[in-house]
Amino acid sequence: MTRYCMVIDQRRCIGCQSCTVACRTWNELPLDIVYNPVLSEGVKGEWPNVHRNWVPTLCMHCEKPACVPCCPTGASQQDADGTVWIDYDKCMACLACVNACPYGMRDQSKLQPHLHRFVRKCTFCRTRRAEEPGRDPYCVQTCHQKARIFGDLDDPESEVSKLIGSAETFRLLEDMGTGPQIYYIPDLGGTAK
Amino acid sequence: MRHHFWKWPIPVYLFLGGLGGGIFCLAAILTLFVFPGVEAVPQALAWPGFISILCLGFGCLMLVADLGQPMVFYRAFVKSTSVLAWGARLLTVCMIFGLLWFVSYIPWEWFRPIADFFVFFRPLNIAIAGIAGTCIMLYTGIFLSTLKAHAFWATPALPVLFTISALSTACAAIALSIGWWPADTSIHSEAGLAVIESAAEASHILHMVDVILVVCEIVVLLVMVLSFLGAGNKTANKVGHKWVHGSYALAFWGGMMVMGLGLPEFMYIFMDGTVASSVIAPILVLCGGCLLRFMVVNSDERAPLPGEDLFFEKLPPRDAEFITKWTYGENIY
Repeated sequence: MTRYCMVIDQRRCIGCQSCTVACRTWNELPLDIVYNPVLSEGVKGEWPNVHRNWVPTLCMHCEKPACVPCCPTGASQQDADGTVWIDYDKCMACLACVNACPYGMRDQSKLQPHLHRFVRKCTFCRTRRAEEPGRDPYCVQTCHQKARIFGDLDDPESEVSKLIGSAETFRLLEDMGTGPQIYYIPDLGGTAK
Repeated sequence: MRHHFWKWPIPVYLFLGGLGGGIFCLAAILTLFVFPGVEAVPQALAWPGFISILCLGFGCLMLVADLGQPMVFYRAFVKSTSVLAWGARLLTVCMIFGLLWFVSYIPWEWFRPIADFFVFFRPLNIAIAGIAGTCIMLYTGIFLSTLKAHAFWATPALPVLFTISALSTACAAIALSIGWWPADTSIHSEAGLAVIESAAEASHILHMVDVILVVCEIVVLLVMVLSFLGAGNKTANKVGHKWVHGSYALAFWGGMMVMGLGLPEFMYIFMDGTVASSVIAPILVLCGGCLLRFMVVNSDERAPLPGEDLFFEKLPPRDAEFITKWTYGENIY
């Protein structure tokens, strides 16, 4: 069984935002939509011992996503491999899923035509993976620091399995109980979970 | 942080849905259990029933308006497990059976054959509408409380609060509208006198019920808000502070607790039999119920991701308008 997940190595991320740009470009996103903002709590410490942590984010593709059961139309779905995605033809933009997501990773574009609104989110580049099997999502392919690693968590030989098994990792807002599938390897000083 | 995704139509929908459901719930209880076999009571309750249908219909319109694309509203009925889909079905059932119950009381001569046809089904129709109405009252709170991302919504107290508020506002709405057309309230006929008497008796019962419900609402609301104020959860604590002595303090203490609950309770108890008790107090209760939905829906804070607030603060405000102007009005997406 395949279960996709992503490991984000904060030690490697330099906050260049190229993952954000690659995602927006390849997925042709409206200008007011960002699937994977790279967040930061700002500079910490005192000169000369200062450091800055970057928190690249995206949809957490939760094991038990809060956004799927609340969808009244069945547009929000989860594949067997764990990918959470939206069928735009079924979505009526009621925003129940947007309010259900603890991570705020769903939104609808205000620039879309009024009569064709739907909610958008990261799909781990589902369409691309279907067309070109074995390819990584665009944000992973673009990251020149190799801070984003994508793979199958159920495959013990995959890079993500080895990283999660060997390094200290954490997940964001784990107490929400949704089982997020994005694992972070903390940078110097750690990050507020 | 990005929030307030739901605009004003949603709280209006939740308020009207609860109100409409509550009216049918109380109408069914009064008709079937409190005054069984007394024909004058359901006749006096026919107009409140019609008001309820209008509330539910207008509430649905608000929901469709919020979508921004009216032609796709039918999709809300599709998925069996979604709370929202169940709400849409219950609203439809309540409106249909409520309407069939109401039409049986319409006294117009040309309408008589249709009205007479539904007379036999009156108990069945009001029972189904009452059950659906009760479920709608519960659903409005349950719907929000299932959205666990928001600390203020994800509490079992919210469905209780919304249900009590829905019943209380329903009592107020019935008190304001009981005994109107199509009830025959002519003082020259025996039937008319019976309706007037039954309406007065039902109003008295609802008055007593609302006195108790308002006290319950005050207790549940205070317990809920103050428990958030003392909560260990940072987000819940923040919302609690906002309600008790933050930006919502005036609306909470002044609007909700005093004008929406305390003052009407005072009028109900100490000014019984006056206009203050029979008209002003119910209107204040209705306004308080509406204000409660607005305040709760707008308290949609969730736990922020690290650095999330900083990220969204950096984005230029009103960029949607800027981009629209920048593309000379042409929407390229």
